[in-house]
Amino acid sequence: MGSTSPVTMPAGDQIPGRLAAFATRAVRELLFCLLAFPLGLCFLAFPVALAEVPLGATLLTHGSQSPQAQPAGVVAVITGALMILLLVFLTPRIALGLGGVYRRLAAWLLGERIAAPPAIRREGGPGRRLTAPLRDRPSWRAAAYLLVKLPVTIVEGYAAVFAIFGLANLTYPFWWHLFRNHPPNVRLSPVVAVTPFGSLRIATFPGTFAAFAAGAAMVLAAPWLARGVSSADRWLMRGLLGPGRLAQRVADLEHTRALAVDNSAAMLRRLERNLHDGAQIRLATLAMNLGMAKEKLGDDGEVLDAAAARELVDSAHRGAKDALSELRSLARGIHPPTLDNGLADALATLAAGSVIPVELDVDVPVRPRPAVEAIAYFCAAELLANAAKHSSANKIKIRAAGREDALLLQVSDDGTGGADPARGSGLAGLAQRVAVVDGQLDIASPPGGPTRITVELPLRA
Amino acid sequence: MLRVVIAEDAALFRAGLVRLLEDRGHQVCAEVADGDALLDAVARHYPDVAVVDIRMPPTHTDEGLRAAITLRRDHPGTGVLVLSQYIETRYATRLLAGDAAGVGYLLKDRVADVAEFADAVARVAGGGTALDPEVVRQLVRSSHAGGLAALTAREREVLALMAEGRSNAGIAAALVVSASVVEKHVASIFGKLGLPPSEADNRRVLAVLRYMGS
Repeated sequence: MGSTSPVTMPAGDQIPGRLAAFATRAVRELLFCLLAFPLGLCFLAFPVALAEVPLGATLLTHGSQSPQAQPAGVVAVITGALMILLLVFLTPRIALGLGGVYRRLAAWLLGERIAAPPAIRREGGPGRRLTAPLRDRPSWRAAAYLLVKLPVTIVEGYAAVFAIFGLANLTYPFWWHLFRNHPPNVRLSPVVAVTPFGSLRIATFPGTFAAFAAGAAMVLAAPWLARGVSSADRWLMRGLLGPGRLAQRVADLEHTRALAVDNSAAMLRRLERNLHDGAQIRLATLAMNLGMAKEKLGDDGEVLDAAAARELVDSAHRGAKDALSELRSLARGIHPPTLDNGLADALATLAAGSVIPVELDVDVPVRPRPAVEAIAYFCAAELLANAAKHSSANKIKIRAAGREDALLLQVSDDGTGGADPARGSGLAGLAQRVAVVDGQLDIASPPGGPTRITVELPLRA
Repeated sequence: MLRVVIAEDAALFRAGLVRLLEDRGHQVCAEVADGDALLDAVARHYPDVAVVDIRMPPTHTDEGLRAAITLRRDHPGTGVLVLSQYIETRYATRLLAGDAAGVGYLLKDRVADVAEFADAVARVAGGGTALDPEVVRQLVRSSHAGGLAALTAREREVLALMAEGRSNAGIAAALVVSASVVEKHVASIFGKLGLPPSEADNRRVLAVLRYMGS
């Protein structure tokens, strides 16, 4: 009997696990509804409160026993106009603030991360600075969100009510006898149980079962209601509380432009470093050796030390050849000459130089822009080098395919997998490079392999 | 014979320097590849001169220069000849701040002219100065001292050679004129720049550089 339990355990373990996940998610969504409801009312309360002021002012002037109605009317108009001005002035500020609170709530409880809109640009004179929020589109979009959200808020309130009163209704049968233990001939007024379809008036113990049933139904319905309404709210928030499509695009472009600038600066620095530590120092050494050799040869006719001179010239000769080969590899690193003949040639050269056998499949009928070709080439080179270093693969496949609107490069190997952009900057650097032209880098590399990395580069900028 | 410490991270170039100096009968007490090791080596060997590369590990920026400045402060008896693949005016002014005695700053290219380089090493070891013509040119170009405008083209040439650390005889040889002509130029330069004339070469350099740096 006990021997079967290890077999059933995992299955039995899984279902509570799922339930628990469902329960925490449901609780979070319900909590979101519970908090969103009063916040939504807040925004509604604010214009109502402002409307009260002129009304109050009219009543006050009326109250001061003035026989004519005229001053009261004037006061009402003036305060009304002031309040409208105040409303227009404050709405974007309050909306932006509340929108921020909603965004934070959504991130905390729903796991919905919405980027903050760009900060309001406060520049120019004091007047322009004061009215800057009035010209801020994200603020008005937040206000629109709060308005459109009103019906959603009501449903969110319902979800919260379902959960709270549902739980309360469930408890009726349990405490009924504690409080209703009065003598049989005493009549007490019935107890009210709130349900979505009106209140139940309960006078007897069997009546509590009706409350219990209603409570059970409400508690069961509440998570689904919360889920439905919070997904609708998410959709609204994504659309209206985020930075907006254009602003998001601008932010993305700013980011990738910064990446491009950083990349090229880093590349120049690397280049300088390579020259400084490589060809330049080799040439300086070579010149020094030749200088010493010249001395050994003497100024005229008489050779002072032929053996030493020969040896020095020999090492200068070696140095010159080394410097040449270093300059050549450096130049190829800047721009591989074979790339001028197209990606197919360049990738073939690359594949030929690989330690691990490479199967190449290039089908690019129309040549992409040089920048796209270069990025594809450098991605292939980097991925090939990565595979050679880390994958212990036996075979690598490079596939380049020209689609209608994108160039697809896929490098896969049968190695040990586990490639992760978080470890080592190689893949992260590639992703940055690709992002500069709005491309995408997709990494599929489970531990144990195989690895397949796909780079998609759009053909139009 | 001079006792020399070499700090240079490029092994090939360092080996060449060692050979060059040993060929001339100098003794290389230590060859190191970074700034800290240089300070240790100088503290241990008290050499006559240290030949120092500016860019060395770990940061590959100016650790050699910083080590050189420390050496000048802590070991005034050791001359410091700084080598670099570039001339940076800011480095030159940092290196020469205070006193130009026993200091050199040369491009690595100058090593190709073996005799001149060996000369510069000896001059710095003896408390003299060896500035690359490139350093002098940049200092002259970057200085906004009004007094320089008053100099004639010839006087500027003389000033530049003076700043390199050459004696009047050396300047005369370089310009193919007689020593008395050079003396006249020097006196005229000092007059125009408002500097009292002096016998010691390095004091002249110091004065000139101070004037240019102001």
